[in-house]
Amino acid sequence: MDRRFPFKVLEHIFSFVDSNEDRNSVSLVCKSWFETERRTRKRVFVGNCYAVSPLKVARRFPKMRSLTLKGKPHFADYNLVPDGWGGYAWPWIEAMAARRPFLEEIRLKRMVVTDECLEKIAASFRDFKTLVLTSCEGFSTDGIAAIASTCRKLRDLELRECIVDDLGGDWLSYFPETSTSLVSLDFSCLDSEVKLSDLERLLSRSPNLKSLKLNRSVTLDVLESLLRRAPQLVELGTGSFSDELDPEEIAKLTKALSELKQLKSLSGLWDLLPEYIPLLYSLCPRLTSLNLSYATVQMPDLIDLLSRCSKLQKLWVMDLIEDKGLKTVALCCKELRELRVFPSGADLDETDVTLTEQGLVSVSEGCPKLESVLYFCVQFTNAALVSIAKNRPNFRCFRLCVMEPFAPDYRTQQPLDEGFKAIVERCKDLRRLSVSGLLTDKAFEYIGVHAKKLRMLSIAFAGDSDLMLHHLLSGCQSLKKLEIRDCPFGDTALLENAAKLETMRSLWMSSCFVSFGACKQLSQKMPRLNVEVIDEHPPKTRPDSSPVERIYIYRTVAGPRLDTPEFVWTIHKSPEVGVSRLSIR
Amino acid sequence: MEICNSYSSSSVDSTKHSASESSVNLSLSLTFPSTSPQRATKQDWPPIKPRLRDTLKVRRRLLQRDYDTCLFVKVYMEGVPIGRKLDLSTFSGYESLLESLSQMFNTSIICGNHRDRKHHVLTYQDTDGDWMMVGDIPWEMFLETVRRLKITKPEGC
Repeated sequence: MDRRFPFKVLEHIFSFVDSNEDRNSVSLVCKSWFETERRTRKRVFVGNCYAVSPLKVARRFPKMRSLTLKGKPHFADYNLVPDGWGGYAWPWIEAMAARRPFLEEIRLKRMVVTDECLEKIAASFRDFKTLVLTSCEGFSTDGIAAIASTCRKLRDLELRECIVDDLGGDWLSYFPETSTSLVSLDFSCLDSEVKLSDLERLLSRSPNLKSLKLNRSVTLDVLESLLRRAPQLVELGTGSFSDELDPEEIAKLTKALSELKQLKSLSGLWDLLPEYIPLLYSLCPRLTSLNLSYATVQMPDLIDLLSRCSKLQKLWVMDLIEDKGLKTVALCCKELRELRVFPSGADLDETDVTLTEQGLVSVSEGCPKLESVLYFCVQFTNAALVSIAKNRPNFRCFRLCVMEPFAPDYRTQQPLDEGFKAIVERCKDLRRLSVSGLLTDKAFEYIGVHAKKLRMLSIAFAGDSDLMLHHLLSGCQSLKKLEIRDCPFGDTALLENAAKLETMRSLWMSSCFVSFGACKQLSQKMPRLNVEVIDEHPPKTRPDSSPVERIYIYRTVAGPRLDTPEFVWTIHKSPEVGVSRLSIR
Repeated sequence: MEICNSYSSSSVDSTKHSASESSVNLSLSLTFPSTSPQRATKQDWPPIKPRLRDTLKVRRRLLQRDYDTCLFVKVYMEGVPIGRKLDLSTFSGYESLLESLSQMFNTSIICGNHRDRKHHVLTYQDTDGDWMMVGDIPWEMFLETVRRLKITKPEGC
C-alpha cells in the first residue's frame, strides 16, 4: 500500500514553509519529500557561489523565481581580498537565462557583475522585477541603462555600495515613458549627475515608488521638486544636504519634507549642515531608521535631531555623536534595536572625539530592545563589557572594533578576555560576534564553551596559539563563517578539526601561521573542501613549512573552481588529476 | 599533490594584482605581537568599507581646514627672491598688517587705495588665482580669500 502523501497534498503543506533552512531540512527527509520540495521552492539562496554549480541549481529548482547569491569572502569589504579573486556572476546568469526564463528576482552580494551580465538579464527574463546588487563591481552605467530600458515590469533597482564605472547620468533617461511599475530605486553609490527632468518625470509616473535613494550629486535645491512628486515615499535617501538655500527655498523644502507622511527611513544627508537640521524635525517622530554615516553633524547639533526620534529602531552614526549624544539616544530612543557607530577619522591617529566605552554602556542601559551593535572605539574595558552584557542579554549581533590592535583594558591593563566572556555567557542568542583588543586563548575558550548559537565570528590581532582556533572549532556548534586576520596560529588546530570545516560555509585566514604543508594535508583529508591559497608567490617554490599569505577554505560539491587568477591556488586531492585538462561542465 | 592554477575564462579579466594587499612579512619572526601593529596597513584597518574610508579622507581634510586657527601666507617683495611667512590671524586689520610688513621689508608699504609713485603697493592672490589690491574688501572676507601676498615696486602696479 502506498502510504505516501499525494504530491498535491505535500506541495500544499510545503507552500507554508518559507525559510530556506527549513526547506533544506525538509528535503533531507526522504526522496519524495526532496522531489516535492525542490519542485516547489521559489526563493533560492546560495551563500557561496562556488559551493555548487549554477547548472545543478538551475536543474534542481524548476519553479525558481528569486535567486540570491554571495561571492567574495566578507573580508573583501576591507581590502583583504586581492582584485581578480573571483566571484563572477556570469556563469550563473548564463545558466539561469538558458533554463529558468521565468526568474524574476536576482540579488547579488560581493560579486563581479559585468555589463554583459546585465544585458543578458534584461534580454532573458521577460518578467524580471528585482535587481539588488550589494558591494558588487565590474559594470558600468551602460549595463544599468540596459536594465532600465528593457525590463518592462521592473520594480526594484538597487545599487548598494557598488563600484560602478560611471559613464554619466544618461542611464536614468532609459526608463521608458510607459514604465510606471517602480517600487524602489537606489543609485546612491553613483557619482555623476542625472538629469533633473528625467528624474522628475520618472517620479511623476511612479505612484508605487516607496523607496528612493539619490546620489550625492543631487543638490539640495532640487530636492523639493522631487519630493513633491513622491509624497508617498517610505524610504528616502537624500543627496547632498549642504548647498546654500535662500529663505524661500528653505520654506518650500521644509513643507515638502513635512508632507512625507509615510516616511520611516532617512539616509543620504551628505555633509548635513547644522542649520538645516530643523528642516528634518517634522520627520523625526515617525522615523524608524536613520543613517547619518555621511552627515558631518557634530555635537550638540545631533542632540536636537535625535531627541525627537522616539520611534527610532535603527541608527547608523559617526562617532561624532560622542558619549553625550549616545546618552541622549539612551534617554529618547527606547525602541532602538540596531546601533552602528563608525569612526570619523580614517586613520587611527586622527581620532579625537570623546567617544568611549561609556557611550555603548549608556545605550545598553537605556534601550531595552537593543539587539545589534557595531561599535568602533579606540579602547575599551572589561567592566564596560560586563555591564553591557548584564544590561542586554538579548544581543544577537555584537561587533566591537577596538581600533588599537592589541589594546588591553585601559584601566587594568588586562586582556579583554573577561569582558567577552560576559558577553557570550549572558547573550545566549548571539548569532554574530566580532572581537578585538588584547585577547588571549582564554577568551576563545570562553567563546567555544558558551557561544552555542554563534554563526559568524570575526577576529583580528588576537590569541596566543593554536589553542585559540581549536577552542572555536571544537566548541562553537553552530559556527558557519569564521574569518581571522593576523593571529599567530593555525596548522595543528586546522588539521585536528578538519571535519568541522565541512559543517561550515567558509573559513578565511590571512596573515596567520598556516603553512603550505598543512594546506596540502587538509585538502587531502577533506575531499569536499576547496582549500584556496591566495598568495603572490607560488607555493610550489617554497618549503612546506613556510606560511602562506591567505587561505580561504569552503565546502563545495562543485569541486575546484576553474576561474582562479594567477595568485590563487586550489590545492588538489590527488596527484593524478591533471587540472588544466578538467572540462568546464 | 597537484597544485591547480587554472586561468580565467575569456569573459573575465582578472590578471591584475591588487595594490592594496596588506604587507605580510613572510619570514615571520617569533616575537609575533611586537611586529604586528605595522601589519595593519592604512588600507585595511580599521575595518570600514571603501566608500566610507574615502569619504572620511576628504572630510578629514575639510574639517582640518575649519579647525585651523593659523593663517600662514607667504609674502614676496618684487625683486627679492626669498619670501617670508606671515600668520595673518595675529593682525587685527589692514593697518597693523601694513605696519608689520613695512617693518619686515624695511620700506613703506601702502594699500592700493592710496596709490602713488613713491610707495610700494600691497597686492594679494585670492582663491580664484587673481591678483587684487589689498584693502578693497572687509578684513574678515580678506582673511577667507587670501592665499598669497606680493609687495610691488613703486613704478609697476
